[in-house]
Amino acid sequence: MIKKTFLGAALAVSAITLAAAPVMAGKADNTLNWSTTREIDVALPYYNNTRELVVIGRHAWDNLLFRDTKTFEYKPLLAKSYKWVDNVTMDFVLREDVKFHNGQPMTADDVVATFNHVSNPDSGVLTKKNVSWMKNAEKTGKYSLRLHLKKPFPAALEFLSGPLAIFPANIWATAKKDAAGKPDYGTVAPIGTGPYKITKTTPGVGVTMEINKDYMSGSPKGKPTIEKIVFRTVSDPEAQVAELLTGSLDWIWDIPKDKAEDIKAMGGTTIINAPTMRISYIAMDRADRAKGTPFAKKLVRQAVAHAIDREAIATQLVGGSSKVIHSACFPTQFGCTQEVPQYGYNPGMAKKLLAKAGYPDGFETDIYAYRQREYTEAVIGYLKKIGIKANLKFQQYKALRGKVWEGQAPFHQMTWGSYSINDVSAITSHFFTKGKDDYCRDDEIKGWLDTADTSTDPAVRKENYHRALSKISEELCWLPMFTYTKNYGFTKDLDFTPTADEIPRFFTASWK
Amino acid sequence: MSEIAKTTTVPTAEEILAPSPMQLLLGRTIGHAGITIGGTILLIMLFMALFAPLIAPFDPYDQELSRRLIPPVWHDKGTWTHVLGTDGFGRDYLSRIIYGSQISLMIGFLAMLISGIIGTVMGVAAGYFGGRVDMIIMFFITTRLAMPVILVALAIVALIGSSLEIVILVLGFLIWDRFAVVMRSATQQVRSMDYVTAAQALGCSTMRIIMGEIMPNIVNALIVVATLEVAHAVLLEAALSFLGLGVQPPQPSWGLMISEGKGYMLFKPWVIGIPGTAIFLLVLAINLLGDGIRDVTAPENRN
Amino acid sequence: MLIYTLKRLGVALLVAFAVSMITFTLLRFSGDPAAAMAGEAATEEDISYIRKHYGFDRPLPEQYAKWLGNALQGDFGNSIYLKVPVAGVIAEKAPVTMKLGAFALTFALVLAIPLGVLAAIRPNSIFDRVALTIAVVGQALPSFFFALIMIIFFGVTMRWLPISGSASWKNFIMPSIALGYYATPAIMRLTRAGMLDVLASDYIRTARAKGLRPGVVLFKHALRNAIIPVVSLSAVQLGFMLGGSIVIETIFSLNGLGNLAWLSIQRSDFEMMQAIVLSVATFYILLTFLADLLNAFLDPRIRVG
Repeated sequence: MIKKTFLGAALAVSAITLAAAPVMAGKADNTLNWSTTREIDVALPYYNNTRELVVIGRHAWDNLLFRDTKTFEYKPLLAKSYKWVDNVTMDFVLREDVKFHNGQPMTADDVVATFNHVSNPDSGVLTKKNVSWMKNAEKTGKYSLRLHLKKPFPAALEFLSGPLAIFPANIWATAKKDAAGKPDYGTVAPIGTGPYKITKTTPGVGVTMEINKDYMSGSPKGKPTIEKIVFRTVSDPEAQVAELLTGSLDWIWDIPKDKAEDIKAMGGTTIINAPTMRISYIAMDRADRAKGTPFAKKLVRQAVAHAIDREAIATQLVGGSSKVIHSACFPTQFGCTQEVPQYGYNPGMAKKLLAKAGYPDGFETDIYAYRQREYTEAVIGYLKKIGIKANLKFQQYKALRGKVWEGQAPFHQMTWGSYSINDVSAITSHFFTKGKDDYCRDDEIKGWLDTADTSTDPAVRKENYHRALSKISEELCWLPMFTYTKNYGFTKDLDFTPTADEIPRFFTASWK
Repeated sequence: MSEIAKTTTVPTAEEILAPSPMQLLLGRTIGHAGITIGGTILLIMLFMALFAPLIAPFDPYDQELSRRLIPPVWHDKGTWTHVLGTDGFGRDYLSRIIYGSQISLMIGFLAMLISGIIGTVMGVAAGYFGGRVDMIIMFFITTRLAMPVILVALAIVALIGSSLEIVILVLGFLIWDRFAVVMRSATQQVRSMDYVTAAQALGCSTMRIIMGEIMPNIVNALIVVATLEVAHAVLLEAALSFLGLGVQPPQPSWGLMISEGKGYMLFKPWVIGIPGTAIFLLVLAINLLGDGIRDVTAPENRN
Repeated sequence: MLIYTLKRLGVALLVAFAVSMITFTLLRFSGDPAAAMAGEAATEEDISYIRKHYGFDRPLPEQYAKWLGNALQGDFGNSIYLKVPVAGVIAEKAPVTMKLGAFALTFALVLAIPLGVLAAIRPNSIFDRVALTIAVVGQALPSFFFALIMIIFFGVTMRWLPISGSASWKNFIMPSIALGYYATPAIMRLTRAGMLDVLASDYIRTARAKGLRPGVVLFKHALRNAIIPVVSLSAVQLGFMLGGSIVIETIFSLNGLGNLAWLSIQRSDFEMMQAIVLSVATFYILLTFLADLLNAFLDPRIRVG
């Protein structure tokens, strides 16, 4: 109490503000400065699957379709209209008045070239699930095209309105070669059709976007009003908060619960806690990819499931509307159900299970994580109580992803936002169909998921997803943890509404 | 007769009754403010470290998320159950500080031991043998001094993984330079003394001379450097743990506690204030002690 | 003088060489550069290809020789992570660290020398005690802790100073203090000791006897002589600061070599780490070399040693 009043009073009273003049900040210069603690190395969709790029992707690029944030219906964006010819073929008719940021008009050639490039496995697109359902695209007219799917894929509309940004046809040929002599598509210029254009990228430092004055009219994205949007990496979370409080940053998110509450209590900054579609999960190496790991034993996995008080973590550490989840999906996603085997907090039982598994005195292991290390540290604390000594290996996302893909992370806590796609295929199928992220490696599960992904009958889909999710929870390939909520902090001058898909839309924000 | 009286010093009554050199030393020691303060603080820390399981009110690893971030007892929301409050995982801070002393002292002492052995061997060899040996060892020392310790330590630890043991080893193998320099210089001073030349003339083995004549006379300098290097190691470990490449969570290293508390520092500064003060007090105590020992054993080296 | 210079230069070069060799070996033994370079999406074939192509499978001495050969021509390889020449990145980031070091040393000197002089003029007085207390306290405070306290107070509570980035000179105030104060005690003690010695010398007594004003005696004569060892010490301390700036730079998000080193360590960017350690070592060697020369120039007795 004393400290808070002191801080508040000091801030209010400090007349001598020799703070460095904010670099082009806020309402005064019509520039929105936003920041996260992560770096952007490649500013291109498809070749950077971090959340920061999902956000920038929506601003500088457009998809064929647009998913309304409130009604969830699909509206035209770059495509004027679409039609299912049969369950593996879609026709699109495009708008004729769209220009890329470099002035080039958009035609069917560009869409076709984009889809054919990204669906080609050699193109090295990072999240295969986003593009592997497409077979190929062909031009049917100057502004029309036909898309062929490999198999029926009901979630197609979700993907077409989400991560599938449209690039100019000739852009891929401009890629530079990498260390192994192959084309590195992450090096092409960031040209799109979106309401903002990327005017400057400094890898590891920031990305600047400026308003696209020639943005197509009548777009469901609206017409942006903020002139300039500057993203800057501020790797120190305290510095971020300090900059927010002193005005050199206008918008940050991912503020930990305690800090958010304290900032809110101070007044002067808007703090909003919003739900997200992101979930936290702990993956355990049922398939023994890491060779000889204790997590290959089901009893060990069960012990872990009972050892962690997920409820306490969700309420005390995450806060807001965070909830414990029991299946490997986000509760609102189509196909997701909580009617699967559930595990309650029971450290006594956990110890017994561990002893039964052959570890009466516990064992030592590494646990990998890449964000919100306090959540994983809490997990480590619970594991210690039942005798498992977990050493935290906190790494950068890219490095950890690599380790996971190599099968060298038998025990890791990570998150997945499903690209905010409201369908189980965007998460469960990504992780459990024997791909690089799969530590379950179960043919039955894969079978059910493949069926569900490609059936057009909702009942069949639900049934098969249910079976897959049940077995995943039964086998504890994942211990689903909780849903993430996000704390947003931004200047009082800004009129901004967070959405549950964790994609801040600065193109609909404005100064008050 | 008077000349004999002047040259053969027959002790006077006062001289016989006066305190012996040892007693004088002791007197200076106790009277020396630095040693008293430093020694007391250090004794308290040692006591904490040795009797931690008996005096710590809670298990330092006992996390209880429902009692997170309780402020210390002097805040209005504080309570006597948790005198120094709790951290972000609900663990009692006083207990963690007490157990943390074990880590700081252990690392400080062991790293000092390793670096002390390496550095003393090198320094004495360089000082005693001189010539080529000295040149080579000086080269090693200069090279070591040119290498940025913390960068190299971080790089190694980042690549091979870190733990208490690794930190001790890495630090021990990196901070021997002051030992080497001071021991070399001390050995050089002693080497030219009469008793050393006498021993050499008598044909004593090198080892015997070094252990018998040299070492006892440089041991004062050794102790001073040793205490200062303990402090150095404590500070380095704190920095490494703060950066995440030292002692690993959930161990209660004070540097790590500062790192874990950083997220709360803007609104709850005591979370970093308490472990930071602990480090400060320990290092202060060690430095005061080291300075004091130097003052007391060789006042002319004061500056 | 010339011979002395050449001898010192020779030693300096040898030391630089030794540092680079040791660092190279340590880094190579601690990790796998081929895997780091290939990135995470790489297959075993990619990694083997890179290992062969870049010669990581050759014996260590051969690898080192190749690195050295290139380095002598100014080619320090390409950053594994940023994919651009290392030398360029270092040249880009070095100025920030140099600035930080220079400011930090200035702070240390501005604080230490007057305190040392004051303490020497009135030994064992209240000034002396205060100065020594500052010295002792300064050496006990961990620099990162001090930095955080300053951030809380000056950066947020008082809002006087910016706490991250390197946009203006104000950004360097807190980092310089945090980095520099650790050198203050040593410099202060040396100044004090030097002044005490000089003030008691015949030379000064003669000057006073000649009737020169105390101020003139103090500054023109005493300080000038006492300062000689301080120059050496300052060079060494500056070298240490450049090497130890990593903690301060990460706390204050300064984009210098320290921050670059931290990022490179996290990304296992071997080429960069090797080059950074060598750069910092080279600065140190250069500084001590220049300090040695200056000393020898000012005090001819040293040249004979």
